[in-house]
Parts: sequence; C-alpha cells; structure tokens
Amino acid sequence: MCLMVKEDAKDKPMVYALSTCPYCKRTKRFLDSHKIAYDSVDVDLLDDAKQDEVMDKVEKMTGKRSFPVVIIGKDIIVGHDEDKLKKALRL
Amino acid sequence: MSDQKPVRVYCPVCLQRFKFVEGWKEGDLVICPICGQKLRLEMTDQGWNGVRPEKGTEKEIRARADEFARIRGYKFNDMKEDIIEGLMGKNSLFGDFYCPCRMMHVGEYQCPCQPTRAGDVETNGKCYCGFFWRKDLGAIDPPPRP
Repeated sequence: MCLMVKEDAKDKPMVYALSTCPYCKRTKRFLDSHKIAYDSVDVDLLDDAKQDEVMDKVEKMTGKRSFPVVIIGKDIIVGHDEDKLKKALRL
Repeated sequence: MSDQKPVRVYCPVCLQRFKFVEGWKEGDLVICPICGQKLRLEMTDQGWNGVRPEKGTEKEIRARADEFARIRGYKFNDMKEDIIEGLMGKNSLFGDFYCPCRMMHVGEYQCPCQPTRAGDVETNGKCYCGFFWRKDLGAIDPPPRP
C-alpha cells in the first residue's frame, strides 16, 4: 500500500492532516521552514474507502481522531507542537 | 395560567428554536441568541423560520463568530484569521462552515459547534479548534457590534 511505503521510508516524517486545519498548515510550514522533506496526506480529501482506512490507522496509533499527526521514526506527535517536532527531528 | 406555547423561531445553523420577541415581523433581521447567526424572519407552515441572508459568504461566518463571542463574552487569539480561512475551506469542500479541525461534516459541527455551544470554552478554556477562548485566556476582543 502506498501509505505503508511512505511510512517505511526511513527518516522521512509522515504528516496526516486535514486540508482545512490551521494547525496542520502550521506543522507543514514548520517542516518546510526547516527544510525537512516529508510525506503528507490530507485525510479529508481522500475518497471514502481510503479515508476510513487512514482514520482507523490514525485512531489505532494515537487513540483519537485528531490532526495533525506526525510520525517521525518511533515518535508520534499529535497536534501542532514545535517543541516535540524539534526534539524528534533533533533540531 | 396560559396553556399557549411560546412562539419560537427555528435557526438553521444551530438547529435550535429560540424565543420570538414581540414586535418582530416577517422580513426583520434578527440574531440567533444561541449561535450568533443573522437571520431574516420568514413565516412558514411550520411556524417562524430563520433564513440566512448571506449564506456561505465570508461576511456571514465572520459576523456569526464575532456575534457568538460577544454573546458569550469570549475572545479570539492570533489563530482567528487562519481558522476563518479553514472555515472557508470547509464551506467550499463540504458545503457549509463545519469545524475546520474535525472530520465531521454534519449540522452538529457547524461553527460554533454543539460542544462549544454546550460550554466547552468554560470547561477547557477554549473550543476544540482554539477559535473561541475564555475571557481570561484569549487576547483579542470581538469587534463592536456594527
């Protein structure tokens, strides 16, 4: 599956976001401003089947249906949190 | 004791009925005291109904948010403009101003969403999205009523 490939890519953060969520945009802007290459998916723009699949995945990983979710190696960061991002990315 | 039911007006945003004030007439513009939406009064077979005169516009959601904040005594912070942009995105993608921070696109999550109207701001200091803030935590007052 495409998502598995993305998550398996070493050292490349994965961002699960909503296209309308201002905090998701801030997280992406933060990564961009630090020139961090990452993969991302706007969950609300996926078709229904794919959306269900990703939502289930996010819920299993985080215990909630909240965005953004950033996966950096073994770290899972829920919400826009620059301190946690910096720590996980060793910035 | 009168057995006459109080006359009420249906608000299509918060899906609640609020009290009709004596003297109001068809075509008047009124504010829903529950969600802050501006409505034009219309009499239908089902009773008084509120119609959204500026439905789906940025003007509508800004006025609603500001009015809701004034009614509740809430404030905003520097996320206000980003959240308005998110609400506009929800409207283009899903047809109405649903909470931009959630996946739910149903009436209950029309901004200000039901949990916010039920008191989340008092309990948590802010709404789910961080749009409305309790007075002691927010930084920006809503503008004065036009």
